[in-house]
Amino acid sequence: MSARKIVFTSGKGGVGKTTTTANVGAALAKHGKRVILVDADIGLRNLDLVLGLEKRIVFDLVEVVEGRCQVRQALIKDKRFESLSILPAAQTRDKDAVTEEQMAKVMDDLAAMSDYVLIDCPAGIEGGFRNAVAGAQEAIVVTTPEVSAIRDADRVIGKLTERSMPVRLIVNRIRPDMVRTGDMLSVDDVCEILSAELLGIVPDDEEIIDTTNRGEPVVLSETNRLRVIYDKIARRLEGELVPFTNLDTPGFLGRLIGALKAG
Amino acid sequence: MHVLQTQDEQRVQSDAGAAALGRAIVITSGKGGVGKTTTTANLGTALARRGANVALIDADVGLRNLDIVLGLESRVKHHVLDVLEEQVSLEDALVRDKNSPTLYLLAAAQTREKDEVDTQKMIALVQTLRERFEYVLIDCPAGIERGFQNAVAGAQEAIVVCTPEVSAVRDVDRVVGLLGNRFTPQLVINRVRPQLVKKGKMLSVEDVNNILRLPLLGVIADEPDVIVSTNKGEPLALRTDSKTASAYHAIAARIAGDDVPAPTVEYKETFMDKLGAFFGGRR
Repeated sequence: MSARKIVFTSGKGGVGKTTTTANVGAALAKHGKRVILVDADIGLRNLDLVLGLEKRIVFDLVEVVEGRCQVRQALIKDKRFESLSILPAAQTRDKDAVTEEQMAKVMDDLAAMSDYVLIDCPAGIEGGFRNAVAGAQEAIVVTTPEVSAIRDADRVIGKLTERSMPVRLIVNRIRPDMVRTGDMLSVDDVCEILSAELLGIVPDDEEIIDTTNRGEPVVLSETNRLRVIYDKIARRLEGELVPFTNLDTPGFLGRLIGALKAG
Repeated sequence: MHVLQTQDEQRVQSDAGAAALGRAIVITSGKGGVGKTTTTANLGTALARRGANVALIDADVGLRNLDIVLGLESRVKHHVLDVLEEQVSLEDALVRDKNSPTLYLLAAAQTREKDEVDTQKMIALVQTLRERFEYVLIDCPAGIERGFQNAVAGAQEAIVVCTPEVSAVRDVDRVVGLLGNRFTPQLVINRVRPQLVKKGKMLSVEDVNNILRLPLLGVIADEPDVIVSTNKGEPLALRTDSKTASAYHAIAARIAGDDVPAPTVEYKETFMDKLGAFFGGRR
């Protein structure tokens, strides 16, 4: 059985592609799946940082493509998980250092030794995007509830649909309080505009910046609510029917205000 | 980046007799989503408020957004590629801003590719705009591919936008390297949350600039207002009651050469801090 090859893309940068790739991959690995994460952002790699593996890089994707090492030699195993490894991007090369055919070949090689190959796509829709998509069979589009991110996601979904690629959506950085006051688009609004199947809803969490800076995926946190959210996304990918988390539960302050009002 | 190097020579020639030309500044970052477009829109608005003639170019062909941030999306009829391919005149493609009469937008093509932009023609277009406008701000796409090179080609100055995240800092560092010696990039640090910095959960302005070592042009705090203003298409710099607006006006003043005090973000104790202190715990 060959692995599922899934690209994480968005059009717009900074919506959380890399963080999502790392955490969904980690959540799948916790379920015992053999997962390989591929950083396709040649020249601006970051997946290694998000997982705290930057000091262990020896070989990279471009060196694999150029035949300077075996694909196994370039994989870095994340010791915190049984079955998670990453293939880092080259930092000092350009995106045109690899072709779509070469990418597809490497992804096939990786698929032969794993259950999931998750490809972290660079921002934009240039050559780096085309390379990242070339080796995938499915796509997960990450977007945030902002008009600009949605417009870019729409453009990317168009490009993926042209390639007859199935697309599912993760709406990232939702702030339920702002949705309630009408200052932010709701998940329903976003899904309606993009008319894509919803895979996950991830609330905005200030801790994510800290965990990213420290190179610890948030799914490793015992206390953070995002752990459950990414776990659910992983289970949905596995085909399980998992209800979406209700984000409308008031936080501590909301409960305090509620209690004061009630008193 | 050989493309940039070959253009160096041309720039030296074109700058020789360029005393009265405006300033072309590219706003770039490497990483996406750090606030390039928002910064471009707000600095353009702030410079226009000072009475300057300003042109904004959206160089993100295929993924344009500057028109949305300015609320001009329904007024865009033509775009950069139409002008470069001489389908329409520059005059017809420039969209005047609805709020600032001296601010103009040249939108990107939405249904075209970045590879279709001829770098030499882009340089010539920026040059033409510099003859008419005091400032030409170029909103660069994310990444370091062709779109980046086209955006940078016509500029003589660069502003790099960074957030206090390790990944953004690494990308900016790479971009500064690619910009080379032709530029002395100035730094805008965006989305700082003083509360998190105080708790040691976010890099501080000093942390970021200890790594990058760039002239600091401004610091913008993370405010939910920014998302609201983007969705509404009204840059915050238009407001008079916003701290973020004041920060953009200070950056505009610094760009214009005014002597403005060093940028800071102040930390205001929140209700939750006081509550935490009251219960004697550290959050």
